[in-house]
This record gives sequence, structure tokens and C-alpha cells, in this order.
Amino acid sequence: MGNKQTIFTPEQLDAYQDCTFFTRKEILRLFYRYRDLAPQLVPPDYTDKPDVTLPYQLIGSMPELKDNPFRQRIAEVFSENGDGNMTLDDFLDMFSVLSEMAPRDLKAYYAFKIYDFNNDDYICKSDLEKTVNKLTRNELTPEEVRLVCEKVIYEADVDNDGKLSLEDFQHMIIRAPDFL
Amino acid sequence: MSTSERIKAIQKMPGTMKKKREIRFVSLSSFALQSFRRFGNSLSEYFHLLPLGHKTLKIIGANFGTSVLSYFIFLKWLLAFNFFSFVINFSFITVPQLVAAEPNNLSFTGLELFTGAGYFQETVLYYGFYSNATISKTENGPSYNMQLAYIFTVGIYFVICFLILLFSMAKSFCRNFINPQIHSGIASKLLCIWDFNITNEKAVKLKQKNISMQIKVQNTGEVLNFSATERVVRIVIHLVCWVASLGTAVAACAGVYFLSINNLKEVVKGHKNDLESQAAMLVLPIVASVLNTFMPFFYSWLGHLERFQTPGHQIYVTITRNIILKISIVGILCYYWLNIVAASESQCWETLVGQDIYRLVLVDFIFCLLGSFFGEFLRRIIGTIVCVNLGLPEFDIGRNVLDLIYAQTLTWVGILFSPLLPGIQMISFSIVFYVKKVSLMMNCQPPRKVWRTAQMTTSFMFLLFFPSFLGVLSVIGVTIWRLKPSEECGPFRGLSSMYDAVSEWIKILENYTASKWVVWIYHNLITSELFFFILSVVVLIITYLYWQITEGRKTVIKLLQKQITNEGKEKRLLLEKLWELQRKTENPSMPRGQGQQVSLIVQVLLFQLRAWYDFMGFL
Repeated sequence: MGNKQTIFTPEQLDAYQDCTFFTRKEILRLFYRYRDLAPQLVPPDYTDKPDVTLPYQLIGSMPELKDNPFRQRIAEVFSENGDGNMTLDDFLDMFSVLSEMAPRDLKAYYAFKIYDFNNDDYICKSDLEKTVNKLTRNELTPEEVRLVCEKVIYEADVDNDGKLSLEDFQHMIIRAPDFL
Repeated sequence: MSTSERIKAIQKMPGTMKKKREIRFVSLSSFALQSFRRFGNSLSEYFHLLPLGHKTLKIIGANFGTSVLSYFIFLKWLLAFNFFSFVINFSFITVPQLVAAEPNNLSFTGLELFTGAGYFQETVLYYGFYSNATISKTENGPSYNMQLAYIFTVGIYFVICFLILLFSMAKSFCRNFINPQIHSGIASKLLCIWDFNITNEKAVKLKQKNISMQIKVQNTGEVLNFSATERVVRIVIHLVCWVASLGTAVAACAGVYFLSINNLKEVVKGHKNDLESQAAMLVLPIVASVLNTFMPFFYSWLGHLERFQTPGHQIYVTITRNIILKISIVGILCYYWLNIVAASESQCWETLVGQDIYRLVLVDFIFCLLGSFFGEFLRRIIGTIVCVNLGLPEFDIGRNVLDLIYAQTLTWVGILFSPLLPGIQMISFSIVFYVKKVSLMMNCQPPRKVWRTAQMTTSFMFLLFFPSFLGVLSVIGVTIWRLKPSEECGPFRGLSSMYDAVSEWIKILENYTASKWVVWIYHNLITSELFFFILSVVVLIITYLYWQITEGRKTVIKLLQKQITNEGKEKRLLLEKLWELQRKTENPSMPRGQGQQVSLIVQVLLFQLRAWYDFMGFL
């Protein structure tokens, strides 16, 4: 149970353990995965907190994400400046929220941000249309997409402002037990 | 808040890692930041290694989605029940018996593994072997009352199972069924439908196609209005199908019943141990398993014939028919065991029942493996090489889960008659887990139909609890209270019912002053009807009160929703007024009215704020 690793200081590891849902082993395993994406960019020693960012192309090629139609939005939501390039902190944060130990409210908050394509804190009609297209791989006609979006807004918009706020979204998630 | 609560709150907070680290630094004391907690964390890490097949479950979920994963989680849960039962039966009943075991004079031939008779008859596997004596290693040493141990172990296990099932079911029901949707739910369907667990490319494409098909169906036909004749025709078809399914279930039960009576005649008549009579004993289990395997296909075909309005409806009806068939087969077998076998002239009827159950469990296990082989492996070969239109088979979750429930029901019935049966079932479930996993990965494709996982999981837990577990409880109850145990074997020989062991023990305890409280509890709480009457009345009152609270809360929710809509409208109205005002300020022709309008708007805003606070105070 002693400290055999030299990648992080004990305080750093403790901080990671407290801020994510991962155990020490899992954090180290994730660090190795992060490093494997670009061994020449990521130093093996994080004790002096280097400022390393991996570009989105590498993150999006990970096996967990490469087939997910929302991978770009996921990377943008979790990256610091919203462009998809992630530091180790963002990387750990992303996997912590996507893991099965994260509670539903947290996942609902991030799902809202993922579906909010224009980052205005509301899911408006155009955001919904993009979501539907990504969900169905552009197989529906624009007319069908428009119909679906109208129905969704009609059902879920509680304060009747024509778009979905975070509260509307969370209100709906509480009633949907299948949300993952 | 304590340290651990604070850490949990930090973990659950949405926000970047940087922000969380700052908050953590501010809120936790330096002592809490120390490595003292690291010990607990690394300990919990080692516990994470234990769960069987954790990585397996992740792979299944990634490739096939959460619906198929729910089957494997259910299987693991049942495995936990069997493991618990095996451990307590083994430690409290079998180990003491092994200490005082009589030597076994019969010879062992390989056939015993299938029939359960022969050599196994005189082992700890069956009820008949257990002695009714108080076992003690040394004279005047600590003694172990086998009768009480047997009845209390089985009883306490069932009580614990009851509580676990009840609480799991209630928790699951609360999470998944309360708050039913008011609308048809397309919003939640759309925004919650994406299964972020799936990482396999084929599965992703299939899911996307699935969603687009669903949306198309939703768009085109919402309410299908039928004419009067069409409705009558549909009702007639439904009735005919129900009559057919119930009729076949009754016919199956009658067949099983007459076969078993025949079987009993053979066993009681001649005690020859040759191959033919041993093989004859296997006919009943094989017939039961064949019925259980092939009738579901018939019911699915009926389901296709009926053309239900929604696929969810079809799934529920098919599952109901299957469960009626399986439970009636188990029911008729229990009736046969308790009424016919117990009253027959055989030497040790409990052991006979135990052997029957052993054979049923074993043959069911073999048929499960065969079903996997034929249903999935051969079907894949047919689907890919011979007749390419069929494609790969899908993993039929409903049928497989019902098979598990049937096997678990048999095990629970058999615990009283064969204490080591849960161990056998544990081994069989583990093998089934790995075989199904391998078959799934090799042969099946991800499910094409929509499967509402959370609701189906609750329904399966409910099916496990209600017909299965409660039925078993009533069978065990009848056995313990009403039936006369056999004279020559088992821990309850010579008593007039198994429960008499407990009443006799209480009579003995009355003579000791130290245990008068046990006797008091027994007479006034457990056997007194007044106590249970009062308990039922109290439970009913509490239920009524909770129901009223729920109704009240529903009204409050409606009021609040109306309030939110009104607030939205008022916000828009005020914003419009502000814009008007802004436009007018650019036109400087009315300076005095401007000041009046500003104060008017400020007054309205303050009034709104006060009304809102009043409303919140009311809550």
C-alpha cells in the first residue's frame, strides 16, 4: 500500500480521488491511457503540473468515443476553452462523469450541455434539430425532423419560452427512468 | 457536514476540476487532507477486485446495450441468493451432520449424477439423511439440536430473502414507475434514448436506425382508429388466443400430473435399481423441460398473430402467458408432491420429493445449455450460410429471464427437502453465465426492438417476488404446518408436523426461568392472532396516510406548474414593456412621463417579487 508511483505527488492523487469518482488505481490507469495517445507530448512526471493539452483528433480516436455520434460535443463540453483539446484534468473529469458511478443529476447536467450546440444555456430548436440528426444519422427528412422538434418543445417546455432550459431538461429526466 | 459528506458533495458538483480543487482546498481542513483517508480508499480498491465478471459486464454493455446487460445483472443477483443460502445451509445444517454421519453402504455408479437416487440417497444431499438427535461430540459437552437448527435455518433464510426482495422491489418501483408521463413522452424518449454505454460501431448504427424508425412511426400513426367491425374482430382474435394459451397451459399441467402419478406408482411398486427404472425416473423432468422450452415459441407465434397496437403490449402479454405456464407447472408439481407423495406409502417421501426436484433442476440446466446451442449457435449458422435473409439471432431477454425465474423457484421449493440444492444451482448458474456470455458474443446481434430496460427490470423483480417467492412461501408453510413428516427418516421423524419441534422446544424452555421472555414472546407475539390483527391495522393506517400525502403533493405540483407558466408569461410581458420604454427614452419628447413609467415598472417588479416570496412561504 505504499507510494510506489512517481507520476503524481500524494497530494495531487488525493485531490484527484476527492474530485472524481475514481480510485487511485483507476486514476493511474487513465493517466497511462492519456499518455498512450501521445507519448511524446505527455511527460511521465506530473509532479510539477505541466501544462499539456492533447488535440481533439487524438481524443476522438479513443475506442470508447470513436463511434459515439456525440464525441465532438463531449470533447468540447469537457475541454477548458471549449475547442475539444483536453488537459489531463479535463480527461479525468470526462471519464468520471461518463462512468457508472456518477449520479444521474450530474449526468443530466452534462447531457444538457452536450445537446446545447450553440452554448447559450438553452436548447433551442436548432440545437434539437442537430441532436435529432446526430441520433438518426441524417436518415430523416427535414420535415420529419422539424415535426419531432416541435413536439419535443411542446411537451418539455414548462415555462413556455420556446426553448428548453436546464430546469426543463432536469424535470424531464426525473420522469424518465431509462436515462443513462 | 462531516468530511466524507463534504467529499461526496464535491464529487457530485458539476464544474471543472480546477474549480473543484479550489473548493476542496477551502472547505476541507488540513487534517482531512492528510493521508489518513488513503488507507480506507486503498482498502475499498481491493474490494473492487472481487465482483465476478465486472469487466465482462462492461464488455457486454458496450457491445449490446443496457437491455441485454440487465439479464446478466439479474443472473448475478440470483447467484448471490443461492450463494447465501448455500453458505448458511452448509454451515448450520450440513457441517454438524457430517460430524455425526452414518456410513454410506451403497455403491456409486455414474448414473446417480443424473437421477439423484442411489448413492446420493444416503448422503447429506437429502433431507432423509439428517438425524433428529441432538448431536454432541463429547459426553455432556455442548450439544447441537438438529431439529431446531434445520427449521430455524430454513425459516430465517426465507425471512431474510423476503425482506431483501421486498426492499429491492420497492426501491426499483419507486425509481422506475412513479411519476408516469402525462404526455406520450416523445421528449423524454428522444433526449434520454441515447445509450452512452454503447461503444461498438455496429451497435451504434443499429441504435440509430432504431431511433429513426421509432420517430417515423411516431410521426405517422399516433392514434389508430378502428371501425366497429374491426374492433370486434380484434377482440375475438384476442379472446381466441388467450383461450388457446390457457388451454395449452392446462393441458400441459394435466399431462405432467398424470405422468408423475404414473411415476410414483413405479417407484413405490418396485425398488429395483437397474438402468431401466432409473431412466424412467428421468421422463418427467424431460417432459417438463420440453414443455417449458417449446411452448414459449408457440406463445410468441400467437403474439405475432394478434398484432398488438404497441410492441410493449405484445412483450407484456407474451411474458404473462409464459409465466402462467411455468408457475402452473411448478404449482401442479407442488400439489402432487404435497398431496400424493406425502400421503403415499413410500419410506421417506421428503427424500423422494428432493430427488424429483434435483432431477428437474439438472434437466432444466441441460436444456438451457442445449437451448443456447440450438437457439443461438445453429441459428447463426442457418442465418449466415443457409438462409441469409434471416440474419443473426437476437438475444431473447424475456424468455431467458423467465427461465431463470423458473429455475430459482424450483431451487427455493427444494431448499427444505435438499439443503445443498442451492450449491448445485449456484454452480449451474455460473456455468450458464459463461455459456450465455460466449454464445452472445459469438452468435447474436444487438437487439433491434426497443426494450424499456428500467421498467422491465422492475417487472422481472416483481415476477420473482409475487408468483414465485410467495408461492414458495405458501408451499413451505403448508409443508411445515400441515404435513406429517415421515416416520423413519429426517430430523423430524416421529413428530406430527415439522412445526411441533418448535412448540416442543418452547415447552422445554418454560421450565427454565432464565428464558421466560422467549416463551412470553412466543405466546403473545408469534402465535397470538390479536397481535397480527393490530399489526395489520397499523400498517393499513400508515398506508392510508401516505396515500393522502401523495394526493396532496400531486395537487401542489399542479399548482406550481401553473405558477411557472404564469411567471414565464409575466416575464415576457415585463420585458416587452421595458423594450417599449427603451424605445421611448430614445425619443426625448416626454421627460416627465418617462420617470412615471420607470417607477411604475419598478413597482410591478417589486410586487411580483413579493408575491413570489409569499408563494414560497406558503410551501
